Amino acid sequence: MLDKSNDIQSKFWEIFSKQDRKKVEEFKTYMDKFAINFNLYQDGNFIEQSLPFDIIPRIISKQEFSKMEKGLIQRIIALNLFLEDLYTDAKIVKAGIVPEEFVLEAKGYLKEFAGFSPSKKIRTHINGIDLVKDTKNDEWVILEDNLRVPSGASYPLSIRDTYRKIYPDFFEQLKIEPIKQYPSYIADSMNYVNCGGINVVLTPGRFNSAYYEHSYLAEKIGAQLVRANELCVIDKKLYFKNYNGKKIRVGSVYRRLDDDFLDPTFFNPESLIGVPGIIDAYLSGNVAIMNAIGNGVADDKGIYYFVPKMIKYYLNEEPILQNAPTYLPYFKEDMEYIFNNIHKLVIKDVAEAGGYGVSFGHSMSKVQLEDMKTIIKANPRRFIAQELIEFYDEKCYLNNELKQRKADFRAYVVMGEDVKVWQCGLTRYALEAGNYLVNSSQGGGFKDTWVME
Amino acid sequence: MEELLTANSATSLYWLGRYLERVEATLMEVSIAYDNIIDVDANAGVNLYKNFDIDLKYSGALNFLNEALLGEHNSNLKNIVVQTRENAIISRTQLGEDSFGEIIELHKLFKNVSYATSSIDYKFIDIALSLISEIWGSLEKRQQRKQSNYFIILGKLVEEVDFHLRLNKDKQSALIIMDEIDTIVEILANGAETKEYKDIDKFEILDSVNKKIDLIIID
Repeated sequence: MLDKSNDIQSKFWEIFSKQDRKKVEEFKTYMDKFAINFNLYQDGNFIEQSLPFDIIPRIISKQEFSKMEKGLIQRIIALNLFLEDLYTDAKIVKAGIVPEEFVLEAKGYLKEFAGFSPSKKIRTHINGIDLVKDTKNDEWVILEDNLRVPSGASYPLSIRDTYRKIYPDFFEQLKIEPIKQYPSYIADSMNYVNCGGINVVLTPGRFNSAYYEHSYLAEKIGAQLVRANELCVIDKKLYFKNYNGKKIRVGSVYRRLDDDFLDPTFFNPESLIGVPGIIDAYLSGNVAIMNAIGNGVADDKGIYYFVPKMIKYYLNEEPILQNAPTYLPYFKEDMEYIFNNIHKLVIKDVAEAGGYGVSFGHSMSKVQLEDMKTIIKANPRRFIAQELIEFYDEKCYLNNELKQRKADFRAYVVMGEDVKVWQCGLTRYALEAGNYLVNSSQGGGFKDTWVME
Repeated sequence: MEELLTANSATSLYWLGRYLERVEATLMEVSIAYDNIIDVDANAGVNLYKNFDIDLKYSGALNFLNEALLGEHNSNLKNIVVQTRENAIISRTQLGEDSFGEIIELHKLFKNVSYATSSIDYKFIDIALSLISEIWGSLEKRQQRKQSNYFIILGKLVEEVDFHLRLNKDKQSALIIMDEIDTIVEILANGAETKEYKDIDKFEILDSVNKKIDLIIID
């Protein structure tokens, strides 16, 4: 990433070279105070793991980010229109742009919600779009859309706060976009769709993998952090149970749990983390739930293939940001291409996330490749294949040495009265050299992202 | 405007106040006993821990510190600090970054010392007590007499009464603290009945405190 055309990179390294390296320890100690943990269950045991982080930020020029920003806004507007259309008139299906079976077979499509339109017709309130920068053409490429419950925004907020305290020089001498406004974007969105009452953040609880983030964001947003048993539904209205027995109406819920667990009377009856009756309140228009229920259909990797077509269909525009070249075995000619090139493609299970269900053709044996073909043939809708994108490494300061690691980027886009792209994001890097999987659940770390002039 | 607070958060704040006070009060009593063990009364530690229904065994002052603070018994301070941290994590949104960060630091201090090969010495107690003072200071700084802060103070005061009575200190002081508790209870639970405690015994005092807590938090 460090090249002569990139002055802002050299400005960073110039200041970095003058910094006292002993401060790295101070940085780590300060970060420890935030208790940034990623909780896991392993063999039935609850394990709190500190999330690894790196102090070298990813630097993106303001100019480059502005282009990305336009593309992200375009994409989210199109995806919101798609979801609203899909659950109401389904014109895009009727027009043959997205095959009906693709929708009906998508794990996240909830036919029970057909005909329902949420508050202000907004479905994609808080979105995490994963991108990488392709080394071939030096362009950002979209890898996937996360329109359900994208996590991770609290990590850059925490690391930035630490950075400013330990290394103020960078912020005094460089023009780095401030990022503190992100929680206010969420608060604005919650207020905009609010159906009358207070805002709450619904968490599965202390032992959820991202509990740190839930509590951090709730505080910054100024919303109450609640577990399901701290809410109740009376006459199709949602209430917050105060410690003294008073009940206060809730108008907007930023839920941090998946659809399946949201309401045991509607979805999974065994869910202990859901609020009985909340769907009734939602369908009655008495509470906004963000993100909207049923968004999982747009996260489906098969549906991802159609996003550029959605942009053309709904906005009559060319996509500003491109998808990674993707093939659907559902289409005969794509299936043929996949089978002929499987050794160099990445195969993804459409319903998986977090780096799970991803197979790299180049690291599979002949037998494994043949097995994969058989599986794909038996269930073509379940998979997509993508060209392996060679994306840039980022410099990481690991064990007192600068090392190169693969890194992706999650951009956060918030929709309320208007659509805002956070001038930061989550840069995730792989812990091992050459590894392409950067997800936290795969052992990846995170770093700050500076948008700089 | 009344601050909103879930029963879970209120309970966690209350217990955060109790556990933190317990750690601080124990450290203070341990440091007094430690000083006595050196050359005044070798059994000072045994007598102290009898108050907690613990039969503590040790060989000398330094070993007393280890056994008292990290021994396998109900008053193991590392375990109490773990509980303090748990309650801080649950009620984090009410705490503010400084106090939360300092509680995490306190936990780390105890965690590190429990893994260390060398014994605990007096310096450790000094560091831990300073850190706890910082935590109270940060909590105080944040206090605007909001409900969340009252729960922490309530927990602290209740623990003070409890500790006071366990150590058989004068009842009068405990009754003074009870008056403070009543003031907070009146704020948190409008219309709660307060009571005169002049002639009641220590068990009645503790029983009355617990009933008051039930009055405040409705789950």
